[in-house]
Amino acid sequence: MASSSDGTVRTASGVQVQHGNHIDTIESVDVVFREQRKLSFSYGAVFFIVTLAIPAMSVWWKTWYAVPVWGGFTLNYLFVSLLYYLFLWGLSYTYIRKADALDERLSHMADEIAAATAVASVGGEQCG
Amino acid sequence: MGNLNIIAIVMVIGLTIFTVGLAIFVRRFTRTTADFYLAGRKVGTIANASAISGDYLSAASFLGVAAAVYASGLDGVWFAAGFAGGFIVVVLFIASALRRFGEYTVADFAYGRFGSDRIRLVTVVMVLLTSLFYMAPQMYGAGTTWTVLVGAGLFGLSPYNTGVLIVSLIIMFYVMVGGMKGTTLNQIFQFWWLWTAMFLVVVFAFTAGSFRYPNALAEVTGENHRDVKTHTVAELTADDGALLAAAEGAMSEEAFAEVQTVVDAGDSEATAGVLVPAKNKLHTLRDMFFNEPGHRYNNFDQFSMVLALVLGTAGLPHILNRYYTNPSGAAARRSTFWVLVFIGTFYIMAPIAGLAGRQIIDNAWRAGAAPTNAAYVDGLLLKSDAIMPTLAQILGGEWLMGAVAAGAFAAMFSTTGGLLIASASAVGHDVYEKYINPGAPEIRKVFVGKASVLFFAFIALGIGLGIPAVGLDKAYPALIAMMVTWAFSLGAGAFVPMLLTGIWWRQTTERGAIAGMIVGGGGSIFFIFMNILKQLGHLGTEGLLPFLGSLTFPTLFTFPAAVLTIIIVSKLDGQLPKNVEEIWMRIHGTASERHEREMGLDKVGSMLSSGGK
Repeated sequence: MASSSDGTVRTASGVQVQHGNHIDTIESVDVVFREQRKLSFSYGAVFFIVTLAIPAMSVWWKTWYAVPVWGGFTLNYLFVSLLYYLFLWGLSYTYIRKADALDERLSHMADEIAAATAVASVGGEQCG
Repeated sequence: MGNLNIIAIVMVIGLTIFTVGLAIFVRRFTRTTADFYLAGRKVGTIANASAISGDYLSAASFLGVAAAVYASGLDGVWFAAGFAGGFIVVVLFIASALRRFGEYTVADFAYGRFGSDRIRLVTVVMVLLTSLFYMAPQMYGAGTTWTVLVGAGLFGLSPYNTGVLIVSLIIMFYVMVGGMKGTTLNQIFQFWWLWTAMFLVVVFAFTAGSFRYPNALAEVTGENHRDVKTHTVAELTADDGALLAAAEGAMSEEAFAEVQTVVDAGDSEATAGVLVPAKNKLHTLRDMFFNEPGHRYNNFDQFSMVLALVLGTAGLPHILNRYYTNPSGAAARRSTFWVLVFIGTFYIMAPIAGLAGRQIIDNAWRAGAAPTNAAYVDGLLLKSDAIMPTLAQILGGEWLMGAVAAGAFAAMFSTTGGLLIASASAVGHDVYEKYINPGAPEIRKVFVGKASVLFFAFIALGIGLGIPAVGLDKAYPALIAMMVTWAFSLGAGAFVPMLLTGIWWRQTTERGAIAGMIVGGGGSIFFIFMNILKQLGHLGTEGLLPFLGSLTFPTLFTFPAAVLTIIIVSKLDGQLPKNVEEIWMRIHGTASERHEREMGLDKVGSMLSSGGK
C-alpha cells in the first residue's frame, strides 16, 4: 500500500482518497460523476435550446422579430432585454438547489460505497 | 481644449485615492503567494459574487453595452443578455469541479489534469493572449472617458492618450501593491459603485424627462435606423455621389448643409460626419429598425455571437481564477447564482440607458443643451462609446457625470486589475515558480508576480495607445463591446473545449487537449484578425480572403472544431495519464469537502489576515 500527502491511497483493490473519516473510492466517485453529469447536461440542454432558439426565431419567425406587442417591444426585444434574465435566474436557482441536494445525497452514498468496498483494506491508515 | 468638468473630475480623483488607499491598507495582509493570487481562499459567497461581478463588469459592460444598443438597437442588447448567460455555462459545467480540483490557475488545471509541462505552457500563452485581447477595450474606454470628462491632455499628449496613460499607471500601482486581496476588496467596492451609477442614470432618465421604456422604443423605432460615419469628400462623391445622396435623405437640412459646405470646398481628403440609412444584414429586403435584429449581424453572426458570449465567459482566465478563491465547490455554485442576480439587474438597466440616450441626447442636441466635449452628427454621437458620460451630464449635470465617470474608471480598474493578476499568475506562478526558480522564497515569488504586473501593464498601455493609431476606432461602430467579444471568442475557442472535455470526458488526452486549444485559440485569432483587416479595407471585397474576413465572431466554427479535434486526437492518441483515476477523483471526488464541512473548515474567514493556504 502506498499513500501520498493529498490523502491518495493505492491499495490492491484500486485508488482511494481519504480525508479524515471520509473516503472516495473510484466506484463512489463514478456514482457522483454520473449523477452530476446527468443533472448538469440536462440543465445545459435546456439552456442551450432556449438560448439558441432566440436567434433562430430572429431569422425565421417574423411575428417574433417584427411585430410590436407592447409599445415598441417586439417579442424578440422583450425576451432578450427582460425575460431572458428571469429564465437565467430561475434555471440557476433550481439547478443549485438540485446540485446541493445531490451533493448531500451522494455524500452519504459515497461513504456507504467506500465503507463497503475499501475501508476494510485501508484499515486504520489515514493520510488526509 | 474642451470643458473641464471640475466636480466630476474631483469625484474620479476621490475614487482613485480610495482605490489606492485600500490597496495600501491591504498590503500588510499580503504575505504569501496564496494571498497575492487567491486572497488566501477566504472570500465569502456574497463578497466573492460582488468581486466576480466587479471583475466581470468591465468598460465593455459599463460603457460598451449602452453604446452598442445606442448604435445597433436589438443587436446591441444581445451583448447584455449574452454576457449574463455565460455564467450559466460556468455554474453548470465548470465552477464546482474547478474549485474541487484546487489549484491556482487555469494552467495549473491543465497541468494537473493532463500531467505535462507542454500543456501548461500552451495554456499560459493562451491566457496571456486572452488577457491582452480583454485589456485592449479597457484601455480604449479609459481614453474615451477621459476625452469626454476632461477634454484636455497632459504633458503634450492628446486627451485620449492622457486617459490611457493615467489609468494604466494607477492600475499598475494598486495591483502591484494590493495583489488579489487588495484587488478583491476594490472590485467589491467598484462593482457596487458602478451598479449604483447605472441605476442612477436609469432612474434619472425615467424621472427627469419624458422617457418611458415601451413608448421610447416605439418612438425610436418609428423611423429607419441611421448609421453615423465619417467619410472623406472623395468617398462621399464617388459613384456619382451615391453616399452624399443617401446622407441628404437621412439628415436634417441644416446638418446636411454643413456637409455640403465641406464637399463644396473641394478638398478631397477633408472629412465630414454623415448619417446614412442603416442596412438590414439579416433580412436584407427589410428596412432596418431599432427594435429588430440585423443591424450588425447576418444569419451566421446571430448564432455565432450568442455562442461566443455564452461560451466565452467560461473561458476568461481572470474569471476562472476567481473560482479558486471560493472556500468550497458548493460555495462556488452559490457565488455564481448571486453573480447572475447582480449582473442580471445591471444588464437589464444598460440597454435602457442605451435607448434613453438615443432619445434624450438627440433632444438635448436639438435644444442646444448637449455637452460640448462629445462630437455629434445631426444629434447622434459620432462615437457611441461616449454615451454614458454624455447622457449622465444631460440628465444630472456634473454630479451624475462624475458618478458615471468614476464608475467607468472603476470598471476599468477592476477588470484590468483582475486581468493583470491573471497574467501575472500565468508568468509568475505557472512559469517562474514551476520552471525557472522552483525553490524561490515567498518574498521572491511575490516580487516576480509584481514585476509581471508591471510588464503587462506597460503592454496594455501600448495597446491602448495603438488602437486609434491603426484606425480601429473608426472601423467599428461600438468598438469597446466588439473588442471584448473578441476576447470572449478566443476564450471560447481556446479554453472551454479543453475544460469541458477535461472535466467531463475521462478519455481526453494531453495531445488531444493541446490540439484542441491550438485549433480553437489559433482559429479564433486568425478569423478575428481577418475581420479587422477587412474592416480596415485591406482585403478588398472579392475572393476567399474577404469571405474569411466576413466572420465577425468565429465561435460557431472554432468551438465545435476544437471539441472535435480533442475527441479525434484523443481517440487516436489513447495515451491517458498513468494516474488518471486519481485525477478523476480530484475533480469529482467529494471526500475533501465532506471532511472540511464536518470540521467546519469550509467557513469563510477574514481576508484581512495573512498566511492563507
